[in-house]
Amino acid sequence: MASLASTGTTRTSFLASRSSCFCSKKVIVTVSVQQKKAERRNMSVKATGMAKFKGTHMREKHLTEMIEQKVIEAKQVCEGDMTSDECKVAWDEVEEVSQAKADLRRKLEEQDPLEFFCQDNPETDECRVYED
Amino acid sequence: MAICTVYTTQSLNSTCSIYTPSTTKTQLSFHQKQLVLFSSSKRSRSKRGGSNTCVITCAAGHSETVVIGLAADSGCGKSTFMRRLTSVFGGAAEPPKGGNPDSNTLISDTTTVICLDDFHSLDRTGRKEKGVTALDPRANNFDLMYEQVKALKEGVAVEKPIYNHVTGLLDPPELIKPPKILVIEGLHPMFDQRVRDLLDFSIYLDISNEVKFAWKIQRDMAERGHSLESIKASIEARKPDFDAYIDPQKQYADAVIEVLPTQLIPDDNEGKVLRVRLIMKEGVKFFSPVYLFDDGSTISWIPCGRKLTCSYPGIKFLYCPETYFGHEVSVLEMDGQFDRLDELIYVESHLSNISTKFYGEVTQQMLKHADFPGSNNGTGLFQTIVGLKIRDLFEQIIASKAVAPAQATKV
Repeated sequence: MASLASTGTTRTSFLASRSSCFCSKKVIVTVSVQQKKAERRNMSVKATGMAKFKGTHMREKHLTEMIEQKVIEAKQVCEGDMTSDECKVAWDEVEEVSQAKADLRRKLEEQDPLEFFCQDNPETDECRVYED
Repeated sequence: MAICTVYTTQSLNSTCSIYTPSTTKTQLSFHQKQLVLFSSSKRSRSKRGGSNTCVITCAAGHSETVVIGLAADSGCGKSTFMRRLTSVFGGAAEPPKGGNPDSNTLISDTTTVICLDDFHSLDRTGRKEKGVTALDPRANNFDLMYEQVKALKEGVAVEKPIYNHVTGLLDPPELIKPPKILVIEGLHPMFDQRVRDLLDFSIYLDISNEVKFAWKIQRDMAERGHSLESIKASIEARKPDFDAYIDPQKQYADAVIEVLPTQLIPDDNEGKVLRVRLIMKEGVKFFSPVYLFDDGSTISWIPCGRKLTCSYPGIKFLYCPETYFGHEVSVLEMDGQFDRLDELIYVESHLSNISTKFYGEVTQQMLKHADFPGSNNGTGLFQTIVGLKIRDLFEQIIASKAVAPAQATKV
């Protein structure tokens, strides 16, 4: 017994009447499910991997700049003494921001991390839709 | 519309579960007198002959959250493991909605994942001033970690701080409600003895230096600031603290996933083909190690042959009992990678004690996340299996508690 959401895709209504037969009949519920989800979210889904909101774009930019900057800093600090605490801390910071950037990139593959925040706070500066 | 009303006439330090056939269990923790009004609307699409009954059961006694600890260095696959784990339990784990968008917490129906960086006592500036890395225990507040994990385990919500990785600052706290399964992941879940004792199960991801280097190259080479030298320098500078504070935790873990370069290809330094060892402690409550063919024996197995054709470099398994830091362990090792679906299902069908609920569940989970790193080798396979073992452990714990529910109030 299969009840299909009617979203304009093929409705195999004969299945409903033949509820006794569960055999190997395929039920096609493909694109309709995705469309419904997007409709519910009330927003179009932008190309994956791209920042949708200004806030996310700013974070990406900030992390990228920090990686560059902190690598330069670490190289400078470690020139004197490679085993010093300052040297360790400097490279640890590089690791931290590199991982943070990688996490952000990964999250972006699914959706903009600010998606839910911006649904509730659409008027904030962070939530302006980012245009390249 | 059906309305069920529950009156509690005495203070119950109890758990109440509200269960309707069409929704998942909702669990509430009560610590004082509560009036519960529960209404359920009858769905228009009723199942054949089914009645919409709602059952409210209250059992006195604490609802203990099951706590899992996951330790690994930064950039070593904790996030991927978390995603596989939460997928096994069902539901997608997402950051808490409506809160701080830079929160590190993930919440799904059954599981809450907390990042232990949130218990940093020093923010980025503070650590720089003191000359202390994030790996150093001095940068972390273990008292708070213990207090809050203990509270959550006992069913009490907490206001947990947030460490913001973008700004490097400690943000205002967020409310964490006790979940069914709490996962604490980070650098130090097993460092403090008190926190260690709260864990029902613990895992350590032990990535060898060569593999770590290869993974970080993959992660960072696209970044403008990075080069091979900077990536290498970062790993080496952090190594002393890592060896002193993080690595020793592996002796306490119930399961260690060790990732090494392959032995199948001489001089392979790309780190693409991996040798992965799943080291499982013997004698852990509710956890029975996975084995090949004969529990406790030593087996060397190459599945590729007449029944299964594999492409280069193939797949090799090893299973044997060993001693690890003075403990009896069973080790299941996989070297090589899967190229085809039928290789995966063939391997799965020969493993025992994998706690699947149906034949092919491991394969199905791996396919579901075919885009995750490690989906074609032992890292994905063993992470998925550990996820299933944890699910099994969780269900056994719940079952053992259900055997003795103290006073149950009648509705």
